[in-house]
Amino acid sequence: MQQTLTLYLQLPLFRRLKRNALFIMFIVHLLLYLLTLPVIMSLSDDDDISYHRSPLLLNTQGGLNTQNGEVEPAVKALEARQDEIMRKLYELKAAVEGLAKTVTTPDADLDLTVSSSSSLSSQSPTSTTFRGTTDLDALLGKDLGALRDIVINANPAQPPLTLLVLHSVLCQRYRVLSTVHVHSSASSVPPQLLSCLGPRHPDSYARQMFQLGFTLIWKDVPKLQMKFSVQNMCPVEGEANVARFLFKLLSPYPSDPAVATLVDSWVDTAFFQLAEGSSKERATVLRALNAALGRNPWLAGPEFSLADIACYCCVLQSASASSAPTNVQRWIKACENLGHFGPAKLYLK
Amino acid sequence: DGEFSAKRASTALPRCLLLPLADNKQKTDRVLVRVQDLIPEKADQLIWLRARVHTSRAKGKQCFLVLRQQQFNLQALVAVGDRASKQMVKFAANITKESIVDVEAFVRTVEQKIESCSQQDVELHIERIFVISQAEPRLPLQLEDAVRPDGDGEEEGRATVNQDTKLDNRVIDLRTTTSQAIFRLQSGVCQLFRDTLTEKGFVEIQTPKIISAASEGGANVFTVSYFKTSAYLAQSPQLYKQMCICGDFEKVFCVGPVFRAEDSNTHRHLTEFVGLDIEMAFSYHYHEVIDSITDTMVRIFKGLRDNFQTEIQTVNKQFPSEPFKFLEPTLRLEYTEAVAMLHEAGVEMGDEEDLSTPNEKLLGRLVKEKYDTDFYVLDKYPLAVRPFYTMPDPNNPKYSNSYDMFMRGEEILSGAQRVHDAQLLTDRANHHQIDLEKIKAYIDSFRYGAPPHGGGGIGLERVCMLYLGLHNIRQTSMFPRDPKRLTP
Repeated sequence: MQQTLTLYLQLPLFRRLKRNALFIMFIVHLLLYLLTLPVIMSLSDDDDISYHRSPLLLNTQGGLNTQNGEVEPAVKALEARQDEIMRKLYELKAAVEGLAKTVTTPDADLDLTVSSSSSLSSQSPTSTTFRGTTDLDALLGKDLGALRDIVINANPAQPPLTLLVLHSVLCQRYRVLSTVHVHSSASSVPPQLLSCLGPRHPDSYARQMFQLGFTLIWKDVPKLQMKFSVQNMCPVEGEANVARFLFKLLSPYPSDPAVATLVDSWVDTAFFQLAEGSSKERATVLRALNAALGRNPWLAGPEFSLADIACYCCVLQSASASSAPTNVQRWIKACENLGHFGPAKLYLK
Repeated sequence: DGEFSAKRASTALPRCLLLPLADNKQKTDRVLVRVQDLIPEKADQLIWLRARVHTSRAKGKQCFLVLRQQQFNLQALVAVGDRASKQMVKFAANITKESIVDVEAFVRTVEQKIESCSQQDVELHIERIFVISQAEPRLPLQLEDAVRPDGDGEEEGRATVNQDTKLDNRVIDLRTTTSQAIFRLQSGVCQLFRDTLTEKGFVEIQTPKIISAASEGGANVFTVSYFKTSAYLAQSPQLYKQMCICGDFEKVFCVGPVFRAEDSNTHRHLTEFVGLDIEMAFSYHYHEVIDSITDTMVRIFKGLRDNFQTEIQTVNKQFPSEPFKFLEPTLRLEYTEAVAMLHEAGVEMGDEEDLSTPNEKLLGRLVKEKYDTDFYVLDKYPLAVRPFYTMPDPNNPKYSNSYDMFMRGEEILSGAQRVHDAQLLTDRANHHQIDLEKIKAYIDSFRYGAPPHGGGGIGLERVCMLYLGLHNIRQTSMFPRDPKRLTP
């Protein structure tokens, strides 16, 4: 029972099937399981025992003691079985809750490579394992035998939440060496910003063992800046643009240009109007978000994208989460269920 | 210009005088104030002051003097009036530059700021002036010339002073505001080094400088005659630092002279300099040593940034440079990354080749461009280019557990984990074809249980030079020694 349940939860193919059918199948299984309970309980010949009532309410002690007051071994065995059943019931409850979350949260796969024009067509379309170094070579240039270090200069007064979220997703996909530095120009950096990329990796003494470096420098800069290859690239400025760069390391932009443009426009809206705009602009954006989320589970359609990450972080930063309209609230909960956004909430304190 | 008595003075005592040398025979209660304390709040007070005459210029019935104490100066005025006669004004105008004088004067505020002095809002109106120590009239160099930035001199026809002249007459050159600032900062570096390490539990040791065997290879040692034999001047305290570690001191540092008989006449080599050396035993990984050293350096930089801004600004007036930038924790790159960065920039070099000086400078520029830091560590050097006592990398025999640290693209520290096993040390020495007899004492120190340890040493003058962005190490060495200079 447990195994089929976890299997259902893991196989991505099944996520694509009709969810209702899956849920119905599960309910049927659950009922069958519950129906088998009285078979286990029937060992006792006391008519008071019934599976309609919680086993904890059974007053077994009073009715089944022997004449000399000791507990019969059969009673002990029964108690043990009751505990076992309770444990299984709690496990089931947790599994059902998890499944409920998955059912209510729309699809959010970053691991499917749907792009037909990508150079990874040799892999099967449903491959979900993380991309290896070949992808990084295609995206970042030839591997010269040294750590590919992405350097981000950020102002401690405006921590870039989107980039922290993207960093945690990147860490799940690649072996990333993350370091945080404070530049001599920054006067005082609060301690939670010093540990915002998580604990130091135990292998951090050997830099060449990592595929990517993520170096965050808290510095007195007017605008967030990213430097990667000093010879071939000029610095990338602005949280939106750096987010686009980092997202491309995870998943390609949608191949449909209309959808790609939509994602881009949401990202810009997030950074320019949600995070930096006046309260009137923010209200307008929230209404637009509401309208868009009424039609689709995610902002850019059926797929989770950078637009969702950016808008979620900016909504959180502008502290308008509690006053948002219903679709937006539902979408916020869905984002939180995905688990990538833990860092964002932490660093807002 | 001997004694002179004022004609209309109410007292019979002279008002300006060349005091004889033996005059300092009584202690008085007279309190001398400091020039830097003379601010508008002290206006109309009568004070005594001892300072040097920076300049004196007569103009009709007045004589303007600029009195200087270290890096502070202010304007003083002797005017013909009921307190001073014409002869007194003439006396003041004839005081030679750099003479030391005692003045009694009133502090007065001025309407227009005196731009050329450090005390811009006040001036002194002199009542009495006495010459304590007279300077010769012809000075080998003029202080204004010595402080003038190099570019200015050529344009306006005003002279700047050649570095050799400055070094030959160091006594006068040290009086300039720039020199005062540089050496105060250097004193600060030394003090921060000691304080930081003492706080971390290090013990200061002093190591011998007359030694029996050359520690780093025989070519660059000075030989001294030692009774019936000869001895050498120590090239580095390496050997003795390690012996202290084997003697269970765990963490030691020493500050002392280092003698290198290198015949290089460059902007960054001296034959004698002050070495700040560190050695420590570590628990599990030699990166503990790197972290300790870089933390010390960062604390020194922060201490200089926070407490010595006046000195840094003063030096920048004559030698403009970019402020020194650093990251905390210090950036650590690996040698392979450095080679990759240089390859990307078009430099051709082998993977196990040492970095040449131009490559080091280029690498410094590339690192500055990407990370915006003037200070970084380069870790895991190839084994082939390091001395025989460097511990090889256990994971990759081509590389070693050694590191260099750079400031503004120039190397300031070379360090490593040392080989602490006598057998391995013997093997490595044989590999480098070193005569085992000459280093027997060294190898013997590791035979009786030696903890894993590592360390490194920096040069005080070089660190100051690079921190301030200067271009010649002789500017940061008070009495420099190089192949061509032995005095002063």
